Formats: sequence, structure tokens, C-alpha cells
Amino acid sequence: MAAVPASRLRGLAPIGLVVLLGLVLTFALGERYHHRVLTLVFVWATMGLSWNIISGYAGQTSFGHQAFFGVGAYVTVLLIVGFRLTPWLGLMVGTVAAVVAAALIGFPTFRLAGIYFALATLAYPLILRIFMDFLGYQEVAIPMVRDRPALYMQFTDPRAYDLLALAALAGTLLLSHWIETSRLGYALRALKENEQAAEASGVDTFRAKMIALMLSAAPAAVIGAIYAHAILYVVTPDAVFGVLVIVQTLVVCLVGGVGTKWGPVLGAAIMVPMSETLDATIGDRLPGIQGVVYGAALVLVMLFAPEGIYWRLRALLPARRAAPAGAAAATEGPIAADLAGRAPVVRGATLMDVRGVSKAFLGLHALEEVSFTVRAGEILGVIGPNGAGKTTLFNVLNGFLSPDQGEVRYRDARITGLRPSAICRSGVGRTFQVVRSFPQMTVLENVMVGAFVHETTPHRARQRALAALASVGLEARADVVPSGLTTPDLRLMELARCLATAPDLILLDEPLAGLARDGVETVMALVRRVRDGGVTVVIIEHTMYAVVQLVDRLVVLDHGRRVAEGLPGEVVRDPAVIEAYLGKRWLRHVEGLRT
Amino acid sequence: MLKVSGLSVAYGGLQALAGVSLEVAEGEFVAIVGPNGAGKSTLMKAVAGGVSLAAGSIEYRGQDIGGLPSHARARLGIAHVPEGRKVFPSLTVLENLEMGSYRPAARRRRADGLDTVFGLFPVLRERRDQLAGSLSGGEQQMLALGRGLMAQPDLLLLDEPSQGLGPRIVEGIFEAIAAIRKSHRVTILLVEQRVVEALELCDRGYVLETGRVVLGGDRETLLADPRVQHAYLGT
Amino acid sequence: MPLGDLVQYVVTGLLVGGVYALMSIGLALIFGVMKVVNFAQGDFMMLGMYLTYFLAVGYGVDPLLGALLTIPPFFVLGLLVHRTLLVRVTGGGNPQRLMDAQLILTLGLSLIITNATTMILTPMPRGIQTAYATQAFAVGPILMNQARSYAFLMALVLAGLVYVFLTRTDVGKALRAAADEPEAAGYQGIDVRAMHGLAFGVGIALVAAAGGLLATYHPIEPTVAVNFIVLMFVAVVLGGLGSIPGAFAGGLVIGLVQSLTLLVLPFQLQNAGVFIAFLLVLYLRPQGLFGQRLRAV
Repeated sequence: MAAVPASRLRGLAPIGLVVLLGLVLTFALGERYHHRVLTLVFVWATMGLSWNIISGYAGQTSFGHQAFFGVGAYVTVLLIVGFRLTPWLGLMVGTVAAVVAAALIGFPTFRLAGIYFALATLAYPLILRIFMDFLGYQEVAIPMVRDRPALYMQFTDPRAYDLLALAALAGTLLLSHWIETSRLGYALRALKENEQAAEASGVDTFRAKMIALMLSAAPAAVIGAIYAHAILYVVTPDAVFGVLVIVQTLVVCLVGGVGTKWGPVLGAAIMVPMSETLDATIGDRLPGIQGVVYGAALVLVMLFAPEGIYWRLRALLPARRAAPAGAAAATEGPIAADLAGRAPVVRGATLMDVRGVSKAFLGLHALEEVSFTVRAGEILGVIGPNGAGKTTLFNVLNGFLSPDQGEVRYRDARITGLRPSAICRSGVGRTFQVVRSFPQMTVLENVMVGAFVHETTPHRARQRALAALASVGLEARADVVPSGLTTPDLRLMELARCLATAPDLILLDEPLAGLARDGVETVMALVRRVRDGGVTVVIIEHTMYAVVQLVDRLVVLDHGRRVAEGLPGEVVRDPAVIEAYLGKRWLRHVEGLRT
Repeated sequence: MLKVSGLSVAYGGLQALAGVSLEVAEGEFVAIVGPNGAGKSTLMKAVAGGVSLAAGSIEYRGQDIGGLPSHARARLGIAHVPEGRKVFPSLTVLENLEMGSYRPAARRRRADGLDTVFGLFPVLRERRDQLAGSLSGGEQQMLALGRGLMAQPDLLLLDEPSQGLGPRIVEGIFEAIAAIRKSHRVTILLVEQRVVEALELCDRGYVLETGRVVLGGDRETLLADPRVQHAYLGT
Repeated sequence: MPLGDLVQYVVTGLLVGGVYALMSIGLALIFGVMKVVNFAQGDFMMLGMYLTYFLAVGYGVDPLLGALLTIPPFFVLGLLVHRTLLVRVTGGGNPQRLMDAQLILTLGLSLIITNATTMILTPMPRGIQTAYATQAFAVGPILMNQARSYAFLMALVLAGLVYVFLTRTDVGKALRAAADEPEAAGYQGIDVRAMHGLAFGVGIALVAAAGGLLATYHPIEPTVAVNFIVLMFVAVVLGGLGSIPGAFAGGLVIGLVQSLTLLVLPFQLQNAGVFIAFLLVLYLRPQGLFGQRLRAV
């Protein structure tokens, strides 16, 4: 077995400190009321961490996460009432029920994007609430069990509930820590930042979101059950499925900071004692003060510190010293292809076969019956004027779009209909016309997302990503974020991310766009080195002068049709091509100039 | 009338324009040609107020308009017919044209404007009550042009009016632009991929390549210059 | 079941649906123009109910007139809220993060309004006594509660006025243009930010007026918003997000569904039918029941 890298263990020390602090408080506090506040801090920190998994790491903002909290609470309590099942077991049943609910909810809901997703999440707790009312569970009291209280989670010592909630918090912190440092964590951060780029880099975004939702449902259910025993005693739909549950969750996360395990902990440590104190001192005279405070916290955070306290504080720390800047030294020699277990293809044989592909958008024909082959080991250029359908073609080739007619075959197998991530994993990489980076991740982490296609541990993925960065000459910039890169370096980073997926065919969408001449030379040299190493390249380009020097063959598109195919020298003299680019009258004009 | 100096624009991490300078005199027709990705549309957006500037200045009739929002520039008499037409799809053809004359100076002359536009594009009169989103690409381009004319502009910016249209329709559009030029005393700045069509219409032109002006001159000079074709085809 | 009963349920549903429709077009207008889902919409409705109540109790203003009187102050309130809060979370930026910020900001606003109202006015439910609240028009065997009938008619008239405003005036057309293509609207001289403020002001004024109409037959309490905000979301989604005629129809449909659900399901499940219909529409026809997609993607 591989040893766990030291960096991963190092992250556990702060978790140990937090738990230790929790223990100290548990045994230092005296008053019963203070223990209640402490329990609540642990409860909302845990619930916040749970929400943070799906909404923070994965960026799928949910307004219905209390559904799982309520399922945990209700299932556990109803099992006691109905079957005298100990909550220690009931809690596990409740957790399983919540995870199943997450699967049932996630499956249809993750097909929705943006506002539709947010609105759908609103409906789930509402529906559960209505059914609980309907089934007659408006008020379910936990029956008192006097003979064996510990077996029924009924303690007279308030410290017991502190410890119980602290244990849930510790477990959720460990889960969060594992996610942050695992392949899943990288996948979630990537899909949060740019879902299409993540998918094109081999992340099955749907699967990653499903796993995240199911993982996040478990701690919510556990803490829901503990909350019912420690605080509620009587479970009502409003207390566990109500708006205030999600509001407190949102408040601790947003105040503390989203997307890090420390955010919800910080947020809960600040907000819960504050609102409880207010409620205890003036809550009698001013019912609703808690709601006003939570509402004001949400508004103020959004207006003045939308990133939350944790990220604010971190930005104050001195930035890690960046590696020396400047253009990386261009390296020489071919970049060896990594077949990653695939059979080699004879140079010149058909690697990809595009057969009669058509695609229309509301009657507008973006592609009409486009056919061509890509031969192993070549650089094939796809050119054509704006609106010719070039990017649409790439979107069909890498699976973002499915064609209305025709199919794409790769290594003699049909890839039409596969998810983009599956096509990427089978060895077809791509880059984008406008570089799609993951802006909050470092250059190295950006490339690691691609490297995880063939690696399971972050350590190995880091090695692979560093190798890919070295091959494009960008390793000196590994620790900066993409916004610190120049345009040519961004292109190189995207190419490295693509190479890290170990492709044997790469689709480059206008890699020279926006580059000055020297940048163009750098990228072109790199594309040649990639080809020389055995990777086949299909490249879309507008800048014809560059393309004719670079490619082995050209395919020309105009108005969605293939109008020419052949060697570059011939194609640029083809009247159909000149017409496509410069118009018919230019042809006549040029002839006029000659005579 | 329009003076652009040292204009730079960057977005999405890409430098779209790097120090572009050009001038358009009152009553002139100036064309900007160049291959795709040269930054032509960004330049037009920068003049119309659709993107913010990283550096440089834009002067219109002696006033620095570089910091004004797009609607304020429109009210000064700059009409922009954007790339991709950008008609209002859920408004009718007539409503689209009315919105062209939203600025107070044009609102008073709305009836005249409609006569002119319907005279130029009779098909728009036929379809006046149809939703703009249901028009064909060519008709939408006519509508976008018509909407620009409704503003009774002093400076008309035309961004790629031929894009994505079939050859016959393109010819019609260029004829309409020529007619506008003849019948209106409007200054025009045109961006086009189709070099000859654009250059034949204009008085003067510029060639833009990767965010820089690489060539400028009057119509005859540019039409005879081999560097124009080189910018496109590299041959 | 006798046909007469069915007609009675349909009529009752439509009468209630008319007020839902008026509430929902306010939300739809705000979403259509600003692309903001306003969680606080229900709370402005609640405030509209209270204003109507105090006008009735304090000055003897008939609530049907009081509902109209809420329009000017709430229009101004909407403009202020837009200017001070919403401008800061609309405009440029990552669309997903921006959307989250808008949702959370308006959720916070909603909490403040609900709870501050509880603090100031106590949670006690109140009601406006009118003669027509307890009387009914009889059309053959069909009974129509008078308060609901008047509220329905006024909702219809107000919605009609909004429609005329949006289709017959330059400013109304400019609002729609700004909703369609904000960038191109700017090029026509339309101040898109001002249009956002206008949409928010009108949207808030409409929902406040709808609250005033609702107050003629519904108890008034600080937490009344929760029950209605979700119904408004459902109506707006049913009608196709941002479509104003769609939201109007969506409001009527919800009234009908609520009423007809009672024929087959127990009273407690009245809203379950609405929410399940909502989820089905989201999964199967996200463009709404009546909408069609004008453009791809």
C-alpha cells in the first residue's frame, strides 16, 4: 500500500485542535444554558459543513438541504415511537434513508441548470413537510425512557450532548478534509468553476455531483437526529424542514466562507452564540430578533464580504512567494505520447472517422453532411470563415453536442452519444477558443484535473501534471493562479491540462487566437512537438498564414459544408476557399489586378 | 468627428485590442477590414460603449466619451448595429424599429424614419406585426440596419452586416448600405470580413490584424495592396 | 359528481387564481427584466396587506381602494431597494455566483421584513371586516364570494393596465427590449439600469396591490409570505420564467389546481399537488407550459 503523503496528514492537525478546543469547552463550561449554546454551535457547524459539500465544493447552491436534516430527525424519532428502536441504530437507518433520498432527488435535479436547479431544491422540503402534516406527524414527541436512558440518547448531563454533537462535527470535518484532498475534491472544484471545461478534461460531472450530494446528505441526517434529541424533544415539520433550518445553515456558511471546511466552523462559532445571546436577552420583548439578525447577516455579507470571513483573513496573510516569472524556456524534442494502455495505431491509418454529420439549431444549418477522416500522426487543419461551423464541429466530436444525423467513430468504435468525459477518457482531448481555466485553482491544480483521468491519488496526479507542465515549459508557473498568466501561457496551461489526460488525439480550437507573432511561434512549435511524439492533432484556426505552415492536411468549411480538403498549398489557391474567406468579388478583383 | 487613440481592450484574459488609433471625419465612410479574431468587433463595441477600455481614449465631436455608458453615447447620435444583429426577438418588427428611435431627438421624427426604412426594406413593412425572433437571418439584418437608421444617427456603426448570410442576401445588404450612404448625410464606420465589398463602398479603410492597425489608406491604395490578401490568407 | 359541483370548484379556483396571477406578474416582470428571482416578493405582499389594513382601520378606507393606494408608496420603495441593494448584485460577473448572491440577498431581505414586522406589529393575525367578505353573488346554483369576486375583477383590471403599459408605451416597450437584449437596448439609448429600477418598482407595487386585494378575505399576519412566495414561484415557472402573460395564466392555473385538488385529495395535500406539478414542469418543460423556446441554448 502506498503511504499517505505527509501533506494530507498535516491537514489533520488543525482538526485535532478544533476537537480539543471543543472538549475543553465541554468540560470547562458550567451553566446548562452555555452547554445548549455549545451544542448548537456544533450542530450548525456540522450542518453547514454538510451543505458546504454540495453547495460549497461543488457549487450547486441548494435551498432545500434541510430535507436531509429532517429525514434524519423524523426517521430516527419515528423508529423509537413505533418500534422502540434505539436511536443509535435508528440514526443509521435515518442516514441511509437520507442518502437514498439524495439519490432520488439528485437524479432528476442535476439535469437542471442555474435558477431551475435552485428553484427545484426549494420544493423538496416543502413537499416532505406537507406529507408529514398529512400523515399526522405534526408533533412527534420523543418518548421518555427512564430505565435505560443512555440506550435512548437521553442524558441528564448536558455535556453528553456536547460530546455527541462534537463527535458528529469531528466526523464531518474529517469527511470534508478527505474530500478536499481527494480526486473527488478536485473534480468538484473544477466543475464548480467551469463545468464544460471539467467535463472536457475527463470529469464525469453528473456522477461527481451525485456522489457529493449523497455524501452531504449523511452528516445532515446524523446531526438532524442529534438535534432532535439534544434540543427539540418534540419534532415538528417546521422545526426540521422549515425555512429557519436552511437559513441558519446558509448564515454560518456564508459568514464563515464557502468552499472550505473552516468556513462553517468559523461562522457557527461567531453567529450562533451571538444570536442565542440576543434571543435570551431581548427575545422575549422582541420576538423575531433572531430572524432579523440572520437576515441582516445575509444581506451584509453579500454586500460587503461575499467571500466570507475565512477567505478575507486568508487574503490578509502574506501571499506565498510566486516562482520567478517570465517566459519559460522552450524545451526541445518531441513530447512522447502516453497511450495509457490503449493499442497503438499505425501512422497514417484512420484514427477518427466523421461520417455525414449534420447539426441544425432551430432551422439554421450549422453543419450539413460533413465527412472527413483524421489519420493517425497527422496535424489536420479545419479552417473556414466565421460562422462556418468549426466550433460546432468540435462540439460534436468531443460530445458536447449530439448530431442530428451522422456519427463519429474513433478507433473503429462509435463515440457519438457518449458523455464528453467518456470521450476524453477514451483518448480525445480538446482545448477551447477562449481558454477555459478553473480560475480559483493554481496552474498545477488546473492540470491535475486532467491528470486524474489516469491517476487516483493526488500525489500521482501531481507528478503527472508536473510532467505535462514541464513538457510545455510552464513548470515555473505551477503555483500561480491563471489570472496571473499571460495569454500565451494560458494557452500552454490549457494544452498541458489536455496532455495530462494522456490523449492520442487532441482537438485544438483556435490555439493561436489573440497571440502576437512570437506567441504564435511558441504554440506552433509545441503543436509540432506533440505531433512528433505520436499524438494526432486537429486544429481550428483563422490565421491562415500560420495554419498553412503547420498542418499536413486541411479541411475547409463554409456555411456548415465541407467545401475543400487537401494539402495546404493547394487548398489556399482553391477558388472556393478564397471565395469563402474574401468573397466572390475578391476573386474577380484579383483577376483584374493580374491582367 | 471620431478620434480613437491608443485604444486597448482586454477581456477573458485575452488582449483583444492593443493600441489602436484611427480617425473618422464628418461625412466620411470608413471601413475596417481584417481576418477573424483581429479585434474588429471589439473595436466597434468599444466605440459604442459595450466594453470598457483598458487604455486609450475615444473622442466624439471633441468630447471624451470613453467613460460614458452605451445609452448615453446613443443619445449623442451614435447608432450601433451590432454583430450578430441582436434584434429584440420577442418584440414585433415595428416595436424593434420604434426602439431604434427611443432617443428623444429621434422620437420626434419617428414617422419619417419608418417611411425611410420601409422604403429601403419593403419586406419589413409586410412583416411589421411579426415577432422579430421569427424572421430569417437576412430579414433580421435588415431590421437591425433599419433600427440603426431610426435613430437618425450622426455616426452609424455597422458591425459585420454580411455575417452568416447567403451570397444573394449579402449583395442586397450591401446595396442597402450604398443607398443609405447616398440618401443620408450620415457618417459610417463599417467592419467587414468581405474586403472588396467593404472597400468599394468606403472612402478610406484600415486593415486590422491581431488587435493592431497594420495598414491604412484610401480605397484605391488598399484595393491594390497585396498585404490585404496576406492578412487573410498568408499568401 | 354533479356537473354543478365541478363548475363551482372551477369558479372558486379561478377567483382565487386571479389574485395569484396579479402577484405573479410582479415577480415575472422582475425576473424577465433583471433575471433576479426575488425571495422577498412575498414579504412586500405582506406589507401591502398591512398598509391596506391600517388604511381601513385608521381612516376607514375600503380595502379595495386601499389596495390601489398601496401602489405609489410601494413603487417608490421598490426603486429605493433596487438603488441601495440590488444594483450591487446585478450587472457583471460570473452568472452563477451572481445568481447565488441575488437569491441570498433577497432571502436575507425577506427574513428581515418578516421578523421586523413580527417585532413591531406582533404575530397576532388581523383581519379587515367588510360587508362583502361574507356575502356571495349567486349565478344560478353557483355561488361567488363577493370579496373574492371584486378582488378578481380588480386584479384583472390591474393586469390589463400592465399589459397596455408594456405593449403600448415607449417605456413599456423599452422594458421588454431591455429584458430581451440588454446590450442592444443600451445601443438604442435605453438606460438598462434605470429599466431594472422601474421593473423592480412596478413589480413590488403590483404584489403589494395584490396583497391589498388578498386582505379583503385572507387573515393578515407577518408570516403570511411563506405560503404565497412559493405559489408565485410555481406560477412563474409554469408560465415560463419571465413571461408576463405566462405568469398570469400560471396564477390562474394554480388557483384551479388548488381548488380541483380538493375534489380528489384531502385538504392537507392541497399544495402538494401544486408542488408536484411544479417539479414535473421543471423536469419536463422548463420553458413553461405555454412557452416555446425562441432561441437555442
